[in-house]
Amino acid sequence: MKKRNIIIINILIVGLILFVIVKYANDRAHESNLASIASFEKMTTTTGQIIANYLEDEQHLCDIWANYINRSAEAGEPMTVDVAISYIRKAKISPEISGHLIYIDDGSLDGISTSASTTDPSDYSVDYSPINLFDDLENGIAEGQVHLTRAYTNPLNGVQSIAFWNRVKVLDDESGDVRDGLVIRVVPVSSLEHKLVFLEGEYENVEISLIDWDGDYLIHGKSLKNSNFFEYFKSYNPMSPQEYNEVLNSIRTDIGSMHIRNSKNEDSFIAYTPLRGLTSWYLIAYIPAKELTDSKSIDWLLLGIASVGLIILLLFNMCILRGYNRRLSVAAEAANQANEAKSLFLSTMSHDIRTPMNAIIGMNEMIIRDSHEEETLMYADSIRTAGETLLGIISDILDFSKIEAGKMEIIPVDYGFVSLLNDLVNMVQRRAEEKGLTFELDIDRNIPSVLCGDEIKIKQVITNILSNAVKYTKEGGIVFSISCNKCEDDGDAVILHVSVKDTGIGIKKEDLDKLFVAFERIEEKKNRNIEGTGLGMAIAESFLSMMGSRLCVESEYGKGSVFSFDLKQKVVNPEPMGEFDAAYKRYLSNRKQYKSKFVAPKARILVVDDTEVNLKVFVNLLSKTKMQIETADSGDAAITLFKRNFYHVIFLDHMMPDKDGIETIKEMKACMDTPNKETPVICLTANAVSGMREMYIEAGFNDYLTKPIDTGRLEKMLLKYLPHNIVEEVTEDKSSLTPENRHSILVINEDVNILRRLKEWLSDSYDVTVVKSKEQATAYLKNHEPELILAGNESSFENEKYNSKIIRFDSGETDQGGVVSLAADFFEGNQ
Amino acid sequence: MKKSIKRIFSATLAAMLLIGMPGCGQKEEAGTSTEFSPKYSTETEYKLTVAGSYANFESLESACERFYAYYPNGEIEYVYLDDYRNTIIPALAGQEPPDIYVVQHWMYGDDQFAPLFEGAEVLSDPELDINLDSIRPGVRWETDNGDILTLPIFATSYGMLVNMDIFEKENLEVPKNYNELVETCEKLKAAGYDSPVMGANTTTTPGVGYAFAYPLFAKTVKDDRSVEAGLNNLDPAAGEAMRDSLTRLKEFVDSGCIDVEKCSAEIEDDYNSVIMRFFEGDVPMMLCSGDVVSGTKKRESTSEAFSANPFRYDFYVAPSGDETGYYMDSVSILFCVNKNSENLDMTNEFIRFLTSEDQLGLMAQEKRLINPTDDYFIDEVYSSLSGFSEDCTVNSRDIELLDTAVKQFRAAAFAVVNGEMTVDEAVAGYGSLPTD
Repeated sequence: MKKRNIIIINILIVGLILFVIVKYANDRAHESNLASIASFEKMTTTTGQIIANYLEDEQHLCDIWANYINRSAEAGEPMTVDVAISYIRKAKISPEISGHLIYIDDGSLDGISTSASTTDPSDYSVDYSPINLFDDLENGIAEGQVHLTRAYTNPLNGVQSIAFWNRVKVLDDESGDVRDGLVIRVVPVSSLEHKLVFLEGEYENVEISLIDWDGDYLIHGKSLKNSNFFEYFKSYNPMSPQEYNEVLNSIRTDIGSMHIRNSKNEDSFIAYTPLRGLTSWYLIAYIPAKELTDSKSIDWLLLGIASVGLIILLLFNMCILRGYNRRLSVAAEAANQANEAKSLFLSTMSHDIRTPMNAIIGMNEMIIRDSHEEETLMYADSIRTAGETLLGIISDILDFSKIEAGKMEIIPVDYGFVSLLNDLVNMVQRRAEEKGLTFELDIDRNIPSVLCGDEIKIKQVITNILSNAVKYTKEGGIVFSISCNKCEDDGDAVILHVSVKDTGIGIKKEDLDKLFVAFERIEEKKNRNIEGTGLGMAIAESFLSMMGSRLCVESEYGKGSVFSFDLKQKVVNPEPMGEFDAAYKRYLSNRKQYKSKFVAPKARILVVDDTEVNLKVFVNLLSKTKMQIETADSGDAAITLFKRNFYHVIFLDHMMPDKDGIETIKEMKACMDTPNKETPVICLTANAVSGMREMYIEAGFNDYLTKPIDTGRLEKMLLKYLPHNIVEEVTEDKSSLTPENRHSILVINEDVNILRRLKEWLSDSYDVTVVKSKEQATAYLKNHEPELILAGNESSFENEKYNSKIIRFDSGETDQGGVVSLAADFFEGNQ
Repeated sequence: MKKSIKRIFSATLAAMLLIGMPGCGQKEEAGTSTEFSPKYSTETEYKLTVAGSYANFESLESACERFYAYYPNGEIEYVYLDDYRNTIIPALAGQEPPDIYVVQHWMYGDDQFAPLFEGAEVLSDPELDINLDSIRPGVRWETDNGDILTLPIFATSYGMLVNMDIFEKENLEVPKNYNELVETCEKLKAAGYDSPVMGANTTTTPGVGYAFAYPLFAKTVKDDRSVEAGLNNLDPAAGEAMRDSLTRLKEFVDSGCIDVEKCSAEIEDDYNSVIMRFFEGDVPMMLCSGDVVSGTKKRESTSEAFSANPFRYDFYVAPSGDETGYYMDSVSILFCVNKNSENLDMTNEFIRFLTSEDQLGLMAQEKRLINPTDDYFIDEVYSSLSGFSEDCTVNSRDIELLDTAVKQFRAAAFAVVNGEMTVDEAVAGYGSLPTD
């Protein structure tokens, strides 16, 4: 996982935890706030009740005054204004409260007071006419109703006051009439405010206000501005007229609460309740929202500590992670370095082994071509076998390296199935025979002749399986079978079932798992004499996996194993390939001494290599082609020739001292004064690790050829790049190979293996018939007349007619050279 | 990368420069800083009462809030007194006397209100450290002995609200003298405005007669103060001083610039109706006082017509003179400090706080009255008053007419406007013109 993702996940987890904490705390705080609001509303309601009680009490006292005065009037002895006011003066206890008695029947609203004017101690007159206070006198007076005025200025002392009033009837001593008047109990607002202080209870900043229907304050706190609460509310809480009316309606009719913004745009809270007993007075309790909810809100400190803790934990984890990452980076760097070292090692090993191998195999090839001594040829053949084995090991290691690096790819090509089988049988047959093992083929004749797939990898998989079978089988033989079935879900493809059965040492069940582990060899101690890297099966399994198949193994320890797999291949030519034996025979009959594919006496070739022996090998391998081959042992020498002479093809070694192949080709490409501007340059390299081809093509080479040089590939490449007009392909002299011109040989031996070997060895030059018994030989001779009869020395075959043609041979010490020379000598003698 | 670093570096420098600039300015102003510095402990507890005749005094409440920033442990309460002129004096003598109270210029010299000035703290007392220099000399009111007992909170004037959009639309200039006024009105009438000038047809100060002609009358008195005594004594002979202004008023009414009947029909009172009618948007010029202008801001949103078609408007003096109009630089309200206040120190401290260009400017801006300092531009509507020449300005120091004399003029002007009296009759009736 990427570091960034880990950090994101960590942050998300921390965020989630914090979210949960905040959500939980917020929910608790919300519940707590709701409880606080409910408590505040309750306090408001209680305060409202207390105030209502107080106002009712004040009204009651005013009513007592009025009742007393009115009772006199009802009794027919109405009090004069002076008597009434004297009574009130005596009745009222508190000095701050005053009583006014005014006439209302003539609209004058003047009268007298219990207290004198503050500006004239002798003046007790009072005039309410300039004060718009008693508009609703026309309405009747309900029993138990509080008749409260708005806050107004007491005309006698300028004190803001409220007044409770009731109607009275008094005697006008001037006119002698009984007149309607009002008795007014005047209470300073401050006195009410002082009482409210004690009602604020637990809240430090609560402000109690009383408003009338229009919102005008009777009293109001410091925070509520304006002379009218509704105006104040509208000024600082913008809203639509409809919303505003809803707020007004709610305050006028309900008990409730709401958030408001004060004049400083601070969140505040009001609770409201109508005052009981008064028709249009309301209590508004104001409090800053933070006082109501602060203590109940989220504990930000705790949340902060938790957040900091989590962040520290996150940072700590990230530091640890960073440490691990640093160590991992170091380890990865070391692994990369080791990998680079391995690649370098593989490259060097490949190069350094292939370079001398080129000389060994090349020179050995020359011996095989040129020598006629059987013993020498036998030695050379052993060298070739050993060389091929060694190259196989190197190839295995390089392939495994490619697989590990993920650079191995499946490259499908069209291929002839017979050709593939030929190569396989050719490779394994000889090894099996050398070990005295039988090699049986069971090939389905209906296999399409041309398929599409990665021929090289299929060949390598089967080769590895067959090689293993040969290596681990001491006695008995190997059965190589391939069958073909139509693919059910793809009409254009077939399923090849490939199976290799041997009578080898077998594999224990517990060791089956080790079979596909690289470098792991089963029963290492027991099999240490058997050559191998332990990579063959791992590579086969990897290749099969890449091709959508898998290797199945059935084995019985000590008795043998069956390795098999199914492989889907596209059909290119559905024509059945026919009997492989016939094809195999053709192959065997065609196997013969090397002959060059072409001759090109006019062709001019330059080969560049710093190793003299490799130059010799190259020149000798192509000697039969009669081409004009010039050599150069360094880059500089090559460039000199490159500038001077024309060549049709140039072979340039890569790894050379002083100036390597890549530097040389760059110089060549930059050179304008040369007849070789269009000449193809082919890299000759012992470096066969993955990615080399791309590197060489990028460097400017047209192609590349690995060492040790395969003569066939070399000649194919030359045919590709040489102008056709200077190449003359060699046509084989088939006449010498026609059965009519060939000597016929009958081989008699009981041992089938010996018979098979002899047939292989002799079939190139002779028409060979093998029989197992003298009876079969006698039967054959009835219809045939062989020119030579080779009979094993244990055979009891006798025939007078053919006595001169019978040659005995030692069945236990047969070798190819001996038998071939025996036959050759016979026919030479006869000639 | 280099470019980015350079950009970040430049941005940082620029930000530092910007942040640093105000700091530089502050330092530069330090020597002349008018910023309020508390004289007493900021923990001082106090409760002050300001008594006044405004039902609402939001601009004072705002000023109190600003004062609380320095002295948070107190409360200043504004109390509206019913029947102020009759209750303020008992209030000062009562159990809960206000610490600060409102007085108006016309109260001075009236025996009824003498206690208001007798009980007032001398604000010019150097010990109080109240910087009265910030007050415009024209509205700084000194008693005969040089004491300053009052702090002007708002100034006012008399003139007209001008619908600038109409003038722009008709490609007209706001008239500067009487002839231009008549010409402009003719053009406006031709453009379809029946009564290019309107106003409240009342005897009050925002009324048509007073707003148009009183500045001209005041200028006459200023130019010849010998008539002042006669006018204050209601001497009928002094009524001659009104002739020129009343004659111009009569000419104005007769010129057709104003349709008095239309004004009476469409403008019911001298305040709210004046504003709401003006906001209808079809009145090029509306005669009024500064106090009327103070009500415009709040009513912009309550006028459906103005909300639908807002327009720009400014206050100008009425162009009643031959050469120019005259700017009455009058005081609207003043604060007196009750020298018997139980919290005299903190009361004076509050007045000291208020007596600054900033605080007075803020209060005037909020109330939309004329700033008593030199800064007219604090509210753009009054910007035409800035730089008015001294010759054409009449302030409270220039004339000392008593309220009774002013009332006589208002009555005369109303009578002339409505054709109840000729100019001659009005002049002859001075001193005995009915005023209530």
